[in-house]
Amino acid sequence: MALTETQSGLSRARRGVAPGGPGTAPVKRRSKLSAQTSRTFFWLLLPSVVLLVLIHGYPLIHAAVQATHDGNLLQTGNFVGGENFSTVLTSPAFWKAAQFTLWFTIVGVFGSWLVGLGLALLLRTKIPAGGTFKVLLLLPWVVPIVVSSTAWNWLVATPDSLIPSLFRNLGLGTPLFLADPTLASITVMVFKVWVSFPFMMMMISAALASVDSTVYEAASMDGATRWQQFSQITLPLIARSTYISWILMTIFCVNDFPTIYLLTGGGPVSATTSLVVLAYRTVFQDFATGPGVAIAFLMTMTLVVISVILYRQIRKSSVE
Amino acid sequence: MSAKSSIASSAFSRRGFLGFAAAAASAPLLAACGGGSASQGGGGGASGTVKFWDMPWATPAYNDAAKGIAEGFSGAGGSKATYQTIQWNNFYQTFSSAIASKTGPAVSTGGGFQAFQFEQQGQIAYADKAIEKLKASGQFNDFLPGVLDPFKSDKGYVAVPWQLDMRVFWYRKSLFEKANVALPTDWPSLLEAGKALKKVGAFGFTTGAGAGNNYANHSMIMMMVNNGGGVFNKDGELDLLNDRNVEAMEFVLELVSNGIVDPAAVSYTTDNMSAQWKDGKAGFGLFQVNVPERVGDTSGDLLVADPLTGPHGDKATIVFPNNIMMYTNTPSQDASEEFLVYYLGQLKQLWQKKLMSALPVFKSITQLPEFASDPNNVKIVKDWQPIAKTFASQGNSLNANLAALDGGQALNQFSQTIITGKSDAKTALQAFQSGLESVLKK
Repeated sequence: MALTETQSGLSRARRGVAPGGPGTAPVKRRSKLSAQTSRTFFWLLLPSVVLLVLIHGYPLIHAAVQATHDGNLLQTGNFVGGENFSTVLTSPAFWKAAQFTLWFTIVGVFGSWLVGLGLALLLRTKIPAGGTFKVLLLLPWVVPIVVSSTAWNWLVATPDSLIPSLFRNLGLGTPLFLADPTLASITVMVFKVWVSFPFMMMMISAALASVDSTVYEAASMDGATRWQQFSQITLPLIARSTYISWILMTIFCVNDFPTIYLLTGGGPVSATTSLVVLAYRTVFQDFATGPGVAIAFLMTMTLVVISVILYRQIRKSSVE
Repeated sequence: MSAKSSIASSAFSRRGFLGFAAAAASAPLLAACGGGSASQGGGGGASGTVKFWDMPWATPAYNDAAKGIAEGFSGAGGSKATYQTIQWNNFYQTFSSAIASKTGPAVSTGGGFQAFQFEQQGQIAYADKAIEKLKASGQFNDFLPGVLDPFKSDKGYVAVPWQLDMRVFWYRKSLFEKANVALPTDWPSLLEAGKALKKVGAFGFTTGAGAGNNYANHSMIMMMVNNGGGVFNKDGELDLLNDRNVEAMEFVLELVSNGIVDPAAVSYTTDNMSAQWKDGKAGFGLFQVNVPERVGDTSGDLLVADPLTGPHGDKATIVFPNNIMMYTNTPSQDASEEFLVYYLGQLKQLWQKKLMSALPVFKSITQLPEFASDPNNVKIVKDWQPIAKTFASQGNSLNANLAALDGGQALNQFSQTIITGKSDAKTALQAFQSGLESVLKK
């Protein structure tokens, strides 16, 4: 009975009907605030707005100025309009980095999601020493990236490192994981998945925890197979969480500097140079501030577009 | 409990909250505006505190010793000095943002060409008066020949050198004995030695181009200047496609194709390289001063080799004359100069304590027993220092453009291309030239 009332109340609320049953006056969605309340809200919000403008707005404006000027870190220089952007967009290095960033992001997002999903589902089952297992699974996310990249370097960098030695002992040759352009790209992507899957696992675990087990019991009684339960119940129910994690991981991957820079420095021969590494090197190694900031701007715009698209998917995937 | 009641019950009043928030919001502004603190200022009194920034040039013990020297300064006008270590990561950004906000140092060490970069932006105080003071004290004549000249611009001395970061060939004696091959003295014998070392599982041209490792960059430029070439001609113009450079890079490619360069070297960090030297995988290669101390090998088996003679009779290596610079933002230019002269006069302590991985710029320090007792040091000073050239190659003066060359993308990509053998010499040099042209100031 109580559930019915609640549902009824929710339903009315969504329709804009006031509590108290049919016939009562509809709720005004935008009630006029009193002048006193408005002023209070204004003053309460003001510090946050000022901080936001200072923290987010000023750097963006400053970056926009730098991207349209030919100066350096100390001096703004002359206004050059879109010249820095055209320099960047006509550079083969930019497009090579964009291509690597695309693959790095695709593998990073979906690789970590798949591993995270698999482990999150595994963690729902009762396994011995489950708590310890969970803690161990979180380690890649917890360990500072400098430490984990050093550890990975130790594992793969030289022909005598542990993993190349293992390959050699198995008769599979001696792969140079960081020296071969293709292998280095794969290694960096695998490293990214390894670092990121705990985040995905936590997001998905949180979403799965909110799913009522009776849904599965009902589906099972209706004869649904395991796959049908997974594809028709689990995936839709965690869809919002999935899209949110995809947005975040896309941003993490596109903006990921340390994972790449610490492991390969963007090499060999720029095979693992992503856009953010290229932007860094352009500004701080070539001292070309305008083009470097222009790269960062282009990355930001791309991320905004991707985020908006995925955010719309979140709204579409609203499950009642 | 509702939000309203929660706020109402709080002891923190709205007015107090607003005041706190306003203070928090204004803090960054105040910090930005208040760069010229009492201790630093933008040109205050003569008795101000000289802010000295130094890089981690060696182990932490070095920075402790340097701090002790800096803080021992006591100027004639009562001026003192503070010491701060600046990490190499993003150091240019650190200096730039501090200088822009007037919170930068009055005196600093820094990247090899940093003084020229900031001079271009009007932030450097010329050291001519300090040089005069060095002349008056007699210390000027103590400089090794030629180390001061690269810092003289049309407007004056941009900085004063304090150490020479030299690149020399090192070798592991026991590996040469094991390979039963003579030490190389020229390029053909280097090739032969490399082939022999390969047979005993060692590399005859040890290098690395991984994250943060510039040794492959330095090796490439060194081989060019060793052949009478270089990145720039005598007039300071880009000159990468000259015949000497092509010949040098063709030789390095020959070393690569013969397996004399480690195929994984392209990904080696400096730690990976040090491990190779320590583990007896490195038979011969370019490295800095103090390799035994750096790699932790006390066997006496790591030794400095003779300079190689190029195919046309040239002998040369590269050197980075690291320097101390003064900035226009100082509490007192007199105090900055006084501190600079004082600090240069105390440098010997660093070599006496064996804390440096570089050569001194003063003859008197090269004669210290702590320095001269090491035959490797003596050999470097005697045989390598006189043939050392800067990144300016055939030219004599340093400039801001060299910073874009040193560690820039173009050089790094070029070095990696060569040591992976992915291109012929001319194509790689052409790409290097194009890459540099796009970043060098016209």
